[in-house]
Amino acid sequence: MGQNFEEVRESADILIVGGGIAGLTAAVSAKEKNPDAEIIVVEKQTAGYGGKANKGGGVLQYFDLEHMKPEEFLQYHVHAVGCYLGDQDVMKKYVAMNNEMIDRLAGWGVTVPQVKIPTGPMTFMFGIDLDSTLKMAAKARKLGVKIFDKVPVSDLLTDNGKIAGAVGYSILDGTFYVFEAKAVIMATGSQNYRVSEMWSCGRGDGIAAAYRAGAEMRNTEFGNFGQLFRKESLHEVVFGENNMYNRLGENVTKNFRRFPEADISATALREWYDQMSQGKGPIYLHQPPRPDDGGFDKIWPRPYGGPFWKEQRREEEGKDKDMEVIPGLVGEQSPVRVDIDMKTSIEGLYAAGDVCYCGSGGPGAVPAPPGRNRGSGILNAVFNGIVGGESAAEYVKSAEKRTLNEEQIAKLKEDAYAPLNREEGIDPVDVIDLIQDVMCPVENSIIMSKHRLDICMRKIAKAKEMVKELKADDLHGMLSCHEAEAMVLCCEMQMRASMMRKESRGWFLREDYPMMDNDNWLKWIIVKNEDGEMTLHTEDVPIESYDVQPLKF
Amino acid sequence: MLHTRHKIEYDPTNCVGCKLCYKACFIDVIRWDEEKKQPIFKYVNECAHCNYCMASCKKGCITVVPDYSSQSYRQSFDMYR
Repeated sequence: MGQNFEEVRESADILIVGGGIAGLTAAVSAKEKNPDAEIIVVEKQTAGYGGKANKGGGVLQYFDLEHMKPEEFLQYHVHAVGCYLGDQDVMKKYVAMNNEMIDRLAGWGVTVPQVKIPTGPMTFMFGIDLDSTLKMAAKARKLGVKIFDKVPVSDLLTDNGKIAGAVGYSILDGTFYVFEAKAVIMATGSQNYRVSEMWSCGRGDGIAAAYRAGAEMRNTEFGNFGQLFRKESLHEVVFGENNMYNRLGENVTKNFRRFPEADISATALREWYDQMSQGKGPIYLHQPPRPDDGGFDKIWPRPYGGPFWKEQRREEEGKDKDMEVIPGLVGEQSPVRVDIDMKTSIEGLYAAGDVCYCGSGGPGAVPAPPGRNRGSGILNAVFNGIVGGESAAEYVKSAEKRTLNEEQIAKLKEDAYAPLNREEGIDPVDVIDLIQDVMCPVENSIIMSKHRLDICMRKIAKAKEMVKELKADDLHGMLSCHEAEAMVLCCEMQMRASMMRKESRGWFLREDYPMMDNDNWLKWIIVKNEDGEMTLHTEDVPIESYDVQPLKF
Repeated sequence: MLHTRHKIEYDPTNCVGCKLCYKACFIDVIRWDEEKKQPIFKYVNECAHCNYCMASCKKGCITVVPDYSSQSYRQSFDMYR
């Protein structure tokens, strides 16, 4: 059946996979750096509407460099958030580019308000409207960037170890696309396992494509972001962790933090588990925080964001009988390894945004944005997009034209359409259901132990067998099959690296190894596909070469 | 949020066929009927009630009605109570 679909070939200097804020920033930055470069953006839904920025990006966190230096934020972040596991050079570069990023966003047509409010020791935020990505898409089109919507990329093409392009298909009519390119920028977002609404577009298919092509992954064990949600409406309660109480009326926030902090920590979710397992649950908030109760719309007029949040509040009204909260998995696995110029381990392959937040090493021991810095997702994506876009634009000036391997294309086409060609098989929803069963419970992915991880690995082994028999009824289902396969892969990377890291550090908590171990675990775990086998090894964090060192007592 | 029971109510009376609801859906719940110039809510059981289709419609043709009981974060409440 797959062979009957039309095949279309396209060629560009740079192919950008993903039309969210990171991909569009990369497209515009690359075009500004190298106006002669031909650039294609391919998006599996609609560019400018895809990704997470226009669903939750109502606020943008930034640094006030008039009152602080990048080195000061680095000190705070390395000690309090990154816990010495970060690439400090990447973090410093990110903060130092703050003003340039804001100016360039404004120059691209994004409304940047002047009213700002503090969010942490050295950070401020302002509200931006949810149409920022639409403005970026318009800017990209104006610069001559070609955009393909409703075309998921299923795999990457290589030529003698270098990137050569990608293949994908239209979910509307099944057309098979072959994109030839000297450079590819992955901007496909994080892995969120289809659990939380706002994050449910991040399904890891870009991570999986990069992995299959041989790109290294780093910090895969930090794909377990979670936060508190109201029990009935499942609406998130940002900052609620600062006033958690158990059924006996005891303040349990005091068990894991001494003063209010800027954002949720894994220890808050562990506290829920501890209280519940001691029979002291449920957990309630005493002072329901309402960070966006309509007041923000008065401060920052938001033509899109206003109606969006108004609907959220209307839905929520009266649904929750009390302020009971539960932990919910978000995920945010973002492991594609990149260097300070957003280059992956494959020549010609770059990455930007939430596909490579942890993979960049920048943030250290914390999952992707918010990464314990609420509102940092957009600016991080803009940072990666500018750096990655400009790096790729420079690279293609001297890179030679690639030769496409027809045998490789034929094989990847057969793999892509395989679920549609099976007469019988397994529904991808059954596979995703099993993976959510592994990832969602807080005792599996937040407060881990060898015993429970062993059980998770047995379920993952079962899911890996199911993937071989996935069946799709239509093209939408075919995409779901590829996403299910990516979820199994990402979950395996998460759990195997979690088994390997025998300590607790930052967001990563092991019940059986509760202490941070700087003697043995100032190491990154690297995951790689070697001839079809998943391999894991460690690499020392070059801590001696960085500005900030672990505290010694 | 696999197979939710959220509903998307659509009143075509004021619809101008602008396609914004279709474009706004970031997970392929909404398709577009090119002949009728109207949205098709084809995969509504995957709706994440993000409300962006509703917020994007300038004519007020769409109402998302969530059914929270069809969502779950899969925590083991009963085991701990």
